Amino acid sequence: MNMKPKKTGGGSFVEQLQNNSVPIMFILICAVCIPISGFSPGYLVNEIMTRLGRNAFLILCLMFPIMAGMGLNFAMTLGAMAAEIALIFTADWQIWGIPGIVLAMILSIPISVLLGAFCGQILNRAKGREMITSYMIAFFMDGLYQLLVLFMMGPVIPILHSSLRLPRGYGIRNTVSLLHMRQSLDNLGAIHIGGVKIPVLTLVVIAIFCLFIVWFRKTKLGQDMRAVGQNMDVARDAGIKVERTRIIAIVMSTVFAGLGMVIYLQNMGNISTYSSHKQIGMFCIAALLVGGASVDKASIGNVFLGVILFHTMFIVAPATGAKITGDSMIGEYFRVFASYGVITVALIMYETKKRMAKGKIGQRLQLAQSEEESR
Amino acid sequence: MKKIPMRTLLFRVGAVLLLAVIAYSMTIIGRGHTVYMDSKRLDYNGQTYETPYKVVVYVNDEQVAKLYDKERGMSTWIGQNFSMTLEITQKKGGTEETQEVSLTLPRNMDGIILNLPALLAGLPEDAYLSEFVSAPEEEEKTGDEGITDEFGLTTTEELPAE
Repeated sequence: MNMKPKKTGGGSFVEQLQNNSVPIMFILICAVCIPISGFSPGYLVNEIMTRLGRNAFLILCLMFPIMAGMGLNFAMTLGAMAAEIALIFTADWQIWGIPGIVLAMILSIPISVLLGAFCGQILNRAKGREMITSYMIAFFMDGLYQLLVLFMMGPVIPILHSSLRLPRGYGIRNTVSLLHMRQSLDNLGAIHIGGVKIPVLTLVVIAIFCLFIVWFRKTKLGQDMRAVGQNMDVARDAGIKVERTRIIAIVMSTVFAGLGMVIYLQNMGNISTYSSHKQIGMFCIAALLVGGASVDKASIGNVFLGVILFHTMFIVAPATGAKITGDSMIGEYFRVFASYGVITVALIMYETKKRMAKGKIGQRLQLAQSEEESR
Repeated sequence: MKKIPMRTLLFRVGAVLLLAVIAYSMTIIGRGHTVYMDSKRLDYNGQTYETPYKVVVYVNDEQVAKLYDKERGMSTWIGQNFSMTLEITQKKGGTEETQEVSLTLPRNMDGIILNLPALLAGLPEDAYLSEFVSAPEEEEKTGDEGITDEFGLTTTEELPAE
């Protein structure tokens, strides 16, 4: 008989409150800010829907490294860089609309695979310190990206259109227009309900990705990833190639981050060549954590709750700041503070929980030892 | 080193080839063009082709231009098979005549100028179609060449002139 452990309510009320403290805090912030901001419900829903379509795919790509116990992948920026490079080529070759998006996605894949494999190799040498290492890799690769885009595009890598090049003749301009690609995916099959635009095709793509993740968890590779995530030594003893599995997790995350970045940028309609990718990892991770995920546990539900809460705060915070203090910059500061703060809180909570769990095990061992001695 | 099974290898190669084929087909079907329609008198082989009084241009059932003499309209088009509908009024106060025009755009041209009198007269491609070449840009001193830092601030340092 297949005996599955029954899921219980998940502890006491206080425990539940502790576990969900971050989403609860953000629900409270939103509940306070929304009425003060004075935005109409229609406007808010429309904005949230736009941001859901824009960001959800990117955040979902963080699931694979968490599954493999590698924490929050700050190096998803690498995928974003790959997507930007692909989009620069697509814009230069004048491939517009949906074909342009598809081409950019395909072009980003090999670049993402290479960068992801490189990142995975490094992270395998920094086991237990994956997050800080991936964070530094993102910075280091940003330097290489700038070298490529600022100095090699033009003289080494042909860029045909002067509208993309800097006036000096080489390097790419600060902003690359994706006007002819703008919202092509979002507008195709979009429906309007009560003034709210629902980007059906984008949501379908996100839904397919969610289904893929659900399916992937049940595959051999998915099970291996979860086993590696729980305990690397046990997984290794069970015959799982731990290093290879971890590299695959990072490669998958990077590739999907690349695809997600294409979706993100087609919605925006332009690339900030030197800064689009920089904050994306931070904001995606913050959104995931706001949704109630932790460093070692995340679900698809966390992604959607996170996008809704985090971006609601993003929308209402400046207006609320302006209403309360007369300066919208206060709201801007607050949202930057909140996004970085939530990451810090999540990391502290993760470490505290780990230490508490260790402490409990130690106490039990001590108790068992003293019982044995008393006999 | 572990040998990869033939089936896996074939599957991988097939996947890469499929992606390459899709990517190539996207470069063809997604090639964007800016089409400029000129209502401009043309002298070709010693003959003069006069402009109609008014031409209204529709692309994808959307009016993109209403052109009188010496005027230029513009539209964007994805792919090579361009089609437009022209509502032509030859003389002021005259009747409108509708004409469907379909033509194949050259893939290597971003901007294409169509001379409407030549096109309507059924002249060969070299008479009605030419490449749009934008005027060389003047060097901007907008600081566009600067790099933004993590706070979104732009450096104002001048880059060495080439």
